[in-house]
Amino acid sequence: MQMTRRTTLAAMAFALMCSTAFAADDTIKIGVNEPLTGAFAASGTYVTNGAKIAADEINAKGGVLGKKIELVIEDNKSNPTEAAAVAEKLITSDKVPVMMGAWGSSLTLATMPKLEEYSVPMLVETSSSGKITTQGNPYVFRIAPPSAVEAEAFGPIAAKLGIKKVDFLVINNDWGRGAAADFSKLLKSKGVEVGLMETMDQSSQDMSAQLAKLKASDADTIMITAAVDQLTLLFKQMAALGLKKRIITTGGSQNPDQIVAQAGATANGTMHLVTFAPWWPEKSPNPQAAEYFINEWKKRGYDFAGTTESFRGYDGIRTIAAAIQAGGATDPASIVKGFWKVDLKGLNGPIKFEKAGPAGKESGQSKPEVYLIEISEGKISPVKL
Amino acid sequence: MDQFLQHIVNASVLGGTYALLGIGLTLIFGIMNVVNFTHGAIYTFGAYAMYLAAVALGLNFFVALPVAVVAGLIMGAIIEFALLRPLRRSDIDTTMLVMIGTGIILQSGTLWIFGGVAKAVPTPFPTEPLVIGPVSLSYVRLFVFFAALALIVLTYFTINGTKLGRAMRATFQDHDTAALMGVNVSLIYTATFAIGSALAAAAGALLGPVYVVFPQMGDLAAVKAFAIVILGGLGSISGATIGGFILAFAEEIGAGYISSGYRDAMGFLIIIAVLLVKPTGLFARAERIG
Amino acid sequence: MTKLLAPLFLVAAALLPLVLKDPYLLNALIITGIFTICAMSLNLLLGFTGQLSLGHVAFFGIGAYVSALTALGFDVGLPFGLRVTYEGGDPIVGFLLAIVITGLTGFLIGRLSFRVRGAYFVIVTISFAEVVRLVALNWVELTQGPLALTSIPNMTLPLPGLGELTLRSKVENYYLVLVVAALSYLVVGGLVASRFGRAMRGLKENESLALSLGINATRTLTIAATISAAMAGAAGSLYAHYIRIIDPDVFLFSYTVTMVIMVVAGGKGTLAGPLVGGLIFGLLPVALRPVMAPEAQWIVYGAILIAILFVMPKGIVPALETLTRRKAPKAAPGKPLEAGARP
Repeated sequence: MQMTRRTTLAAMAFALMCSTAFAADDTIKIGVNEPLTGAFAASGTYVTNGAKIAADEINAKGGVLGKKIELVIEDNKSNPTEAAAVAEKLITSDKVPVMMGAWGSSLTLATMPKLEEYSVPMLVETSSSGKITTQGNPYVFRIAPPSAVEAEAFGPIAAKLGIKKVDFLVINNDWGRGAAADFSKLLKSKGVEVGLMETMDQSSQDMSAQLAKLKASDADTIMITAAVDQLTLLFKQMAALGLKKRIITTGGSQNPDQIVAQAGATANGTMHLVTFAPWWPEKSPNPQAAEYFINEWKKRGYDFAGTTESFRGYDGIRTIAAAIQAGGATDPASIVKGFWKVDLKGLNGPIKFEKAGPAGKESGQSKPEVYLIEISEGKISPVKL
Repeated sequence: MDQFLQHIVNASVLGGTYALLGIGLTLIFGIMNVVNFTHGAIYTFGAYAMYLAAVALGLNFFVALPVAVVAGLIMGAIIEFALLRPLRRSDIDTTMLVMIGTGIILQSGTLWIFGGVAKAVPTPFPTEPLVIGPVSLSYVRLFVFFAALALIVLTYFTINGTKLGRAMRATFQDHDTAALMGVNVSLIYTATFAIGSALAAAAGALLGPVYVVFPQMGDLAAVKAFAIVILGGLGSISGATIGGFILAFAEEIGAGYISSGYRDAMGFLIIIAVLLVKPTGLFARAERIG
Repeated sequence: MTKLLAPLFLVAAALLPLVLKDPYLLNALIITGIFTICAMSLNLLLGFTGQLSLGHVAFFGIGAYVSALTALGFDVGLPFGLRVTYEGGDPIVGFLLAIVITGLTGFLIGRLSFRVRGAYFVIVTISFAEVVRLVALNWVELTQGPLALTSIPNMTLPLPGLGELTLRSKVENYYLVLVVAALSYLVVGGLVASRFGRAMRGLKENESLALSLGINATRTLTIAATISAAMAGAAGSLYAHYIRIIDPDVFLFSYTVTMVIMVVAGGKGTLAGPLVGGLIFGLLPVALRPVMAPEAQWIVYGAILIAILFVMPKGIVPALETLTRRKAPKAAPGKPLEAGARP
């Protein structure tokens, strides 16, 4: 017991020492606040690995403003309280002038008061809740599409697919509910009838009750917003119920390759709205960068299926580097100014921030491209409209 | 009506696995008075054991299954021997916290070793469902249902028809008297925990291929197992079996006809209702524990 | 000597911000303080009456939501066409309301759940917390569900004759949490030393004996549950106005687990136990963060928990007391419970 206490004390003393460690002058620190343990560990790890590729690439090319960049990666444990604490640590102990994070919307929302408190900007790479850019937080710059942007891009596609009536099945969090609200608003305006709105808990594994209800409905299409693991389960359970309708998934966390690998034939015929199409890097808005990223990802031995998630980490760090370059200095205020000047070819379209939210305190929102892909016979192909 | 029939079939199939989960916990809870917070972690462990045996070792599905169950049995015996046996005289809170600590270690260890990305376990069953009239059902679920029933019957027989089972029941009634009668209580405790863990691992190994395998899969399973145990009463196998089916029906009907958002609340609402009416569970003997 | 420890500790804690300027560590201390208040309130049930409540996070969360909604206002439809609209008001009103409403909830839940004991009680309390979480998640009109309540204002204190003081900075919030924690400590200490405290302990030691002596078990336990819930509600309110965003994750089961760990590892049924346990298990993650991989941090956390329980099954504070008593044999003998119970 004496030992335990002494070790604890030693560890605390060590923590204190680390927190006061000085920042080296020849590097620019970038904070990365991602879920590496807990419910979202898989996605957070993918994004972090994508970020590492970008940092290594930038440093190999000589860094930014003549300095190397250094990622300070912290785990927010998939927990909002921790996400806020991590932001605090990155800003005050590690003295990072800019951060990327925090994957989930509730995690990102929890960090946002800290950004205002310390006037440090954060690049939001994944979160899609509308609230993030409408609160009047001028330190938020988002490259992920909120569901309203995704829905807007889907408008013309919906007409061409000939959808008459649609049901929704969404994960019961801000992400799913937000998507259902934005997509039903858009579809109604296009004259499409909106039917059921079913939800599922993010930890649920058995959705057969919801699916039985959806099977009995007269809608021709089901729109689903969920992460890849639940999608896999849904497709298997749909097959078991003999549910055969047009399926379109949204939200950008689908990992179609993982679906093909794990849901097998049950995924055939499903359509997915994605923001990055790693299967055809040559057709992407920035073929050279896409090919480099995908090759590097494979070279490091990561699972190819992760690219649809990890490209956000890669684009996020590149955007931050571009903002530092454009701002011309490494203090938070210059980087904020730099963000507004960013004009970068991202892996999924141009990254350029437009003003969003209340006047005078606007957040930045970039509008990426959205693609509809289809899985057929275990192969992924673009949907021909 | 068609939709209703489908709900009934879904609930029946789900109930079998819920029962399996509940029985393992109720044995440990009832006989050892341990709130076993490793139950979910062992469930996950069983699923990963199945994944390792079937995918990494390439064993046949039907061979991998018993391998995973035995792995759970051994894991349970180790936990009981190393962590619970020295704490035999401690109170319920202490053992519960030790179990929580063990659960944290098991879950984080799984995440560390396998990463957070979900794994799929392939099954030898066809993907096309079995269709009978308006109702369809996948073959793998049908298999899981019958395998679960077989395990439940086997456990029931072990408890009620063997020497070990008699000793377990005697320990449940009164462990001091059982010790005086010559029952090796320590051995019974180890056996109980090992059997309970094997059943949790079996549930994981059976459901891993139906769902997907990932480190946090045990969290929800554990909560449901607690609900089932309380519905059925501590230490009652038939109670846990019926409790498992009640929970499955409540969830399925609740999600189908009330609100899918409250699907996972159904179980808890039932528990609160049951405890208000009959505080010791639906099928328990009339004693008060604690 | 032991009598002086608590005031000394308070003085040290009050002086700490003068030395400690690091905002991250202050933040960690504030969060730790908030959870320590929860642990102290849980100790009232778990430690002094021996009832293992695993639904304590429900009161914390309800307190957070009540306080946040009082500050932000709401507009919600009820059955029979009723509609309740409220503009929003002072956070301090929310703080008081949080205490009152969680206290009432604690009273009701106590009335219902003290019909059962032991493992059954454990499960009822878990179920209650889970139902409340699902209500917060699905009653979107009131709670915004998973969309979270955002822009919660900082706590505002009315100063007589001086207007209002809004607690924005870390140091201000630190002192607020410290004051509430000290008050909670005094409340628990006072209760335990009173006749009521003896009734609680009597129930814990031997329920049938206590009953035969004329102690009303359900009444005693319900009062303890009410006070305990109200304290957790106060902590929830502090949390909401400090973090400034809450979503149904405030009902995470892992928060309950954290509170139970703080109480049991620190020493249940002692006044100082939750404080010691709270400090260790609140700051342990902070200490582990820089030295190892995230997964390893959790493994070490679990291992330290198990190690403490193995070496000191009664918790750290009783173990230390036994140790000091052995060194100073002149000290009056007594059960660790009573030695620690003096405020």
